[in-house]
Amino acid sequence: MLRASIEYSGSGGQLGGITEGSKAGDAGIEHGERLTAFADAAVSGDPAALATARDALREAAGSAVVVDAAGVIGNFQRMVRIADGSGIPLDTMVDTMSSDIREDLGLEGFESRRLAEQGALAKLFAPVARGAAMLGLRIAGRRGRR
Amino acid sequence: MTSFDYAASPDPIRNDLADAHRRQWQRIANTGTWLTGAQRVAVAEETRWARDCALCRERKRALSPFAVDGEHDHAGVLPAPMVDEIHRVTTDAARLSQKWFESLLEQGLSADAYVEALGVAVCTISIDGFHHAMGLPVEPLPEPNDGEPTRERPDDLVEGEAWVPMRAPKGLSAELGLPAGQAPYVIRALSLVPAEVHAWDDLSAAQYLNKQQMMRFEKVRAIDRSQIELVAGRVSALNECFY
Repeated sequence: MLRASIEYSGSGGQLGGITEGSKAGDAGIEHGERLTAFADAAVSGDPAALATARDALREAAGSAVVVDAAGVIGNFQRMVRIADGSGIPLDTMVDTMSSDIREDLGLEGFESRRLAEQGALAKLFAPVARGAAMLGLRIAGRRGRR
Repeated sequence: MTSFDYAASPDPIRNDLADAHRRQWQRIANTGTWLTGAQRVAVAEETRWARDCALCRERKRALSPFAVDGEHDHAGVLPAPMVDEIHRVTTDAARLSQKWFESLLEQGLSADAYVEALGVAVCTISIDGFHHAMGLPVEPLPEPNDGEPTRERPDDLVEGEAWVPMRAPKGLSAELGLPAGQAPYVIRALSLVPAEVHAWDDLSAAQYLNKQQMMRFEKVRAIDRSQIELVAGRVSALNECFY
């Protein structure tokens, strides 16, 4: 979804913030470094680091950004547990669209990578499907920004 | 006393977030499909016990979480398999396995009760996670309401796609206003207990995006979609969640 939103916005953002956190800097996304630092601190459970990260984000981007980011953090603490706790596979479309970035970001090494095995046909057509979808998002984004 | 009174927060919190959190707390207190109100509140309480559980800490450090035996620090209300479910989901979800899930069934936990407890647990974890991120104390748990579970199972279940039975996409997509027959697995995951899917939908709309907003990419919050997905992706990666 991050890649899709980057394509839509035309921002030139990168995906490194997902796996590298604040070490990736802003990664082409406004306040990206502070947002990932906030997420890191919230998941780590270190209250001092969390207060520092929250204050830094508030100072740079404002209270509304802190609240919305905290909402997303809370939401995805839930989503990952629903997925892992129910043993669902990856949806075929998501599997197809994300196979290249999973490799790039090292996500294939996660323990939860267990049920989602792409079929041969999906693997064959994945690059074409990805290219078409990303082109569609870029066009939709340009229209949306007009 | 009003629950989820965010007036003391240094950062003004949107009313729709407070309202959604209140609805979830009320829902947790109510009698469920397979669990009583008291059991549901106990599930929520158990997620908080899990965070300070010595066994969970030891398992988290172990090469395999299944190599460490012992007893959880728990509230003493719920049966042992459900306590284990809630503790592992709370503290080490990425290393759960189908074999472990099946062992809970062998110990007498039904898949239905497992899914309902999962829905209540993740809802509590999510709202507590929001409070934690905001530097706010966790909300006191609600008083449970009386009543008998309805014990109604959907009649369009599909087995074998995940560990738990799930509803077929057709009926669920229509119910949730999704494109015909298109309900992604993460939405179907809790559908053995449909009320938990509707609760997921309600809370997601406030904390993340509603389903229509998910399909589009326009900015609808103080952070744009790239920023939202950066935070979502980072939290998922830190939890070693492949999805």
